[in-house]
Amino acid sequence: MFDLIIRGGDIIDGTGRPRWRGDVGIRDGRIAAIGQVNGEARRVIDATNRIVAPGFIDPHTHFDVQLLWDGQARPALEHGITTVVPGNCSLSLAPLKAADRPRLVGMFQQIEELPPAAFTEAFVWTWESFAGYRDALAKTVAINVAPLVGHSVIRLWVMGDAAQQRAANADEIAAMQDLLRECLDAGAVGLSTSFVDVDEHLHPVPSRWAAAAELDALAAVLGEYGRMLQVVPEFYATDITIARVDQLAELSLKYDIPTTFSPLFDSRATPDNVPRVMARVDEQFARGARVWPQVQTRPIDISFSFEHPSLFFARFPTWYRVMRMPRAERLAALRDPATADKLVAETGADGGRMMLGGLTIRGGEGAPKALEGRKLGDIADERNTTPARALIDVSLEGDLNVPFLAASLGHEASDRVGPLLAHPHVHVGASDGGAHIQSFATYGDTSYLLGHFVRDTQHLSLEDAVRKITRDTAQIWGISERGTIEEGMAADVVVFDADRIDRGGERAVFDMPGGGMRYVRECIGMDAVVVNGALAYASGAYTDARVGQVCALTGVRS
Amino acid sequence: MSARPDALIERAEVGGGHDGQAELIVTLRFASGGRTAVVLDTEAGMRLMRNCGVDDAAALAGHPWNKILEDPTCST
Repeated sequence: MFDLIIRGGDIIDGTGRPRWRGDVGIRDGRIAAIGQVNGEARRVIDATNRIVAPGFIDPHTHFDVQLLWDGQARPALEHGITTVVPGNCSLSLAPLKAADRPRLVGMFQQIEELPPAAFTEAFVWTWESFAGYRDALAKTVAINVAPLVGHSVIRLWVMGDAAQQRAANADEIAAMQDLLRECLDAGAVGLSTSFVDVDEHLHPVPSRWAAAAELDALAAVLGEYGRMLQVVPEFYATDITIARVDQLAELSLKYDIPTTFSPLFDSRATPDNVPRVMARVDEQFARGARVWPQVQTRPIDISFSFEHPSLFFARFPTWYRVMRMPRAERLAALRDPATADKLVAETGADGGRMMLGGLTIRGGEGAPKALEGRKLGDIADERNTTPARALIDVSLEGDLNVPFLAASLGHEASDRVGPLLAHPHVHVGASDGGAHIQSFATYGDTSYLLGHFVRDTQHLSLEDAVRKITRDTAQIWGISERGTIEEGMAADVVVFDADRIDRGGERAVFDMPGGGMRYVRECIGMDAVVVNGALAYASGAYTDARVGQVCALTGVRS
Repeated sequence: MSARPDALIERAEVGGGHDGQAELIVTLRFASGGRTAVVLDTEAGMRLMRNCGVDDAAALAGHPWNKILEDPTCST
């Protein structure tokens, strides 16, 4: 008797080999049979005309805190994500002394745009150790978790206030090494660090105060376990990013560890960034180093409102000046007919149609419901005015707190990003899942990969795209027993319609602790998501299954 | 810090940033003739524009890059 049989689907097993038609039988949380599976099952899923694939693994998330009140990491799970890596960018919820919690919350707020209520209103924070955090996760998760431990919190634990004041001495470095070992023994998949981030006071986060010898010493500990080092490099400058690639390569070779850095973006304004960084990555792989650049699939959207100044208007001096005025003056300027005329004139003879007509009015606290999701150009047409005038009018009607979205302002050239995603040394990731929630939706990158870069532009075959976000990710990170559909593997399985799979439109929801808002994108075309043999999502609804696990790990040796 | 400008701003463009905010992509030309690009977030981009006394990113061209270091405390 099987617990579940998925019948008659096209199986893409995660190895990259071509799909074949067959059944998948699941018993006791494991894949028990593949092919023509005979026998009874407590539940059967008809996968006719559907793809059956391993669950997807998201290697760059900030679900650290969300998992404690939402163990399904919604809506990531409905996109087929069955395993997440939280704890990126030097920040994790453990190890952390109770007195330092406000400090960490401030960093999460500044860097990942997570509201403080997310840390204070939805769970009881009882642990200080990494093992304590792991145990708390294990009680709540419906999704598998391979958590990183953050360099900044390790430093904070050992050095206290000095963590953001100076380099560590030899005794402190040794103490950090011991603490890292304790975390790795408790199940941390590796260490994350950051060379760029600042806290809420704009002070460099603790990891940025580390001298090279400290990172070397911590990498040595990772080498004892064969675990991952994740880094946020100075991605705003190509030359420094390349220098970090070299630094990571030396650590990888010296200690036989995998390393990864994120993000790596393509931009029309800096067209040589990706080619130069990838050339160095290829060179270092040829030397035997493992330095995996993480590349996100989705284009970069930006948002703004008249509530805060934005560089979006940096090429339009009158707009830029008005946006930087004190609020009362800003309101008065926008209401002043002469100023408004000047603003409109500055957007060109088309009244801003080219520049502003494609802006979308986003949902959110200040958004007029009737206009949510609509293009400014269409609104202007309805009102028999120009897009520039409509932008001013709509903003005033919403007391300036109307959010606008400018889509695809970076990383948007499919003919450049598609081949990059297909590159053998590119690690598909950097979703930032669960972060920046009030700025944009960090969910649905895998659906966008399968819908856009597989189905629409055909830069990757479906088999290769699935391999990249399943087996390859599991192997890069040393996540055991996941990533392929093979007998004996953990039964993380997705069933989806290859003709429909996609991310839905962005929308605002108010489901954060304390009623806070976030942007989400739901999944289109996902029939079922199975986690450790239990049906976690099916037919558009989440189930009560809570059988996620903190992942078993294996050392990743070259 | 030398008063001599290490580099001049050659041009500046607006792009989309990792954090969902607009950013400024500044191309620099060194005295040696070498060029490089630096991406500035909202705070740094606005500080550079203010320190250079411009309201149009295109007008940054020709200004010394080390203006970015002046008056770092005031963001906008």
